[in-house]
Amino acid sequence: MTDNTAQGFTVPIGPQHPALKEPGHFQFTVDGEIVTRAYVRLGYAHRGIEKAAEARSWTQNLYLLERVCGICSHIHALAYSLAVEQLAGVEAPPRAQAIRVLVAELERIHSHFLWMGVSAHEAGFDTLFMYSWRDRETVMDLLEGLTGNRVNYSANLLGGVKFDLQAAQADSIRRGLDFLEQRTRHYLDVVSNDAMFLQRTRGIGVMTRAQAEVMGAVGPTARASNVGRDLRVEAPYAAYRDFPVRMALDERGDLEARFEVRIRELFESFRLIRQILDDLPPGELGVRLPRRIPAGEAVVRLEAPRGEVYYFVKSNGGDRPERLKVRTPTICNLTSVVRLAVGHQLADVPMILAGIDPCFSCNDRLVQLYQEETGEGRSMSWKDLRQYGIDFYARRQA
Amino acid sequence: MRKRFGTMLPDICRSLFRRPATGDYPFVAAVTPERLRGRLEWDPAACTGCGLCAMDCPASALAVAVLDRKARRFVLQYHLDRCIFCGQCVVSCRQGCLRMTGTPWELAALTRETFVTYFGDPTDVEQVLAVKPEEDPGTPG
Repeated sequence: MTDNTAQGFTVPIGPQHPALKEPGHFQFTVDGEIVTRAYVRLGYAHRGIEKAAEARSWTQNLYLLERVCGICSHIHALAYSLAVEQLAGVEAPPRAQAIRVLVAELERIHSHFLWMGVSAHEAGFDTLFMYSWRDRETVMDLLEGLTGNRVNYSANLLGGVKFDLQAAQADSIRRGLDFLEQRTRHYLDVVSNDAMFLQRTRGIGVMTRAQAEVMGAVGPTARASNVGRDLRVEAPYAAYRDFPVRMALDERGDLEARFEVRIRELFESFRLIRQILDDLPPGELGVRLPRRIPAGEAVVRLEAPRGEVYYFVKSNGGDRPERLKVRTPTICNLTSVVRLAVGHQLADVPMILAGIDPCFSCNDRLVQLYQEETGEGRSMSWKDLRQYGIDFYARRQA
Repeated sequence: MRKRFGTMLPDICRSLFRRPATGDYPFVAAVTPERLRGRLEWDPAACTGCGLCAMDCPASALAVAVLDRKARRFVLQYHLDRCIFCGQCVVSCRQGCLRMTGTPWELAALTRETFVTYFGDPTDVEQVLAVKPEEDPGTPG
């Protein structure tokens, strides 16, 4: 704890901290137990993925970008595939698009169950954590049975998907969903009615609709503040045009609402998956794409479990991308954590942070520059940055 | 509904009379799904040595050595430790020579050399090793 009497006590948390298993640094200035100022510093898990993508072929990048996020890996591969298909002027067949959506919704179930466990753990409700993670194994087994992998499913190909859906897999998915739906009903009851848990969620971290819009919140975090923002509904992609989704909204804006919105989304995912299994379109699983993608630029926005994922891909007509830009939902939602933490007790901060379902490694594509003496931000021109790099390596070699 | 305490207590009580959720591995072998993507297998019969599998591999886990294209003498070098089990090579192979097998799935070993497999005729493999003992495709970029 830093004693800074001019501004009160500043509590530094992270980058290695017990709450989350990913690195991020937070500084909370407190007056007693109440947070008066919050600051976040990112950049600890910068992996240079965008630059690495420029050195790999269009096909190889599919698997590199799948590793942007360990939880929503499929959505990244899907966003990239859709962008490349857009550039090549082709569209994957309806059956492939439906299978893509099927995997995306199974992934959403996996992600929401994982989040429910992590958030419950932050609240000290480890029973819910353990049971929700036990149940998460069901959906992970379904994904493994369908795709062959538990985490990075590698279901996508440029132009389609790798595998078809057999009757045996459809049956096991239906059985798994029946179990998960029954458990989800129970968890909705727990998060809405458990007296102890509600003390940690009801009226905590309230974000009004106006605040959510100003702060650019996305995904379930925004929908819990009654912001009707869901790309599956607003700008349907892949097979969401044929299999429409009903948006889950809540107007309370607190942590309880974020729990309920995500759980209600699970029911919608169960319904959608069953509908896809019943009405899976016949046809091919993919179309061939050329090795060199025509020059152009493509923008793709998809609804990941945490919110909007944005991909910009630029081709110069070669066998690899010229530029690739990824934006993940956590970076949009982190602003709300810093703003909402102010006025709350320090003990509520981990829950407010967990409420946005943060994924630090996903969003680490920026480097913040700040002056060591003052802690204030600073900017460098491209020329200065280049010179800094030359000097840095010259010093190191000396 | 009214707020109440101990909403998860029934789960805990039921669990007292249930078997553990975790498996008994390694005492009981774990059942793997049919589609599990594990170790790669190569069928040389139809291979044309085109090298598309190695070109598309995102992890540089494959390298094809062509000894004699007309006589169909190829050696496929496979780095199991680099393989990310994405299955792209299986899709890229137009002759259907490659497939991923779910068994055996326990692939741990104590030495790194164990992970490098040379598929092909033993004489050809010897020839490849004699010419390029240190051949390493490296990582892209």
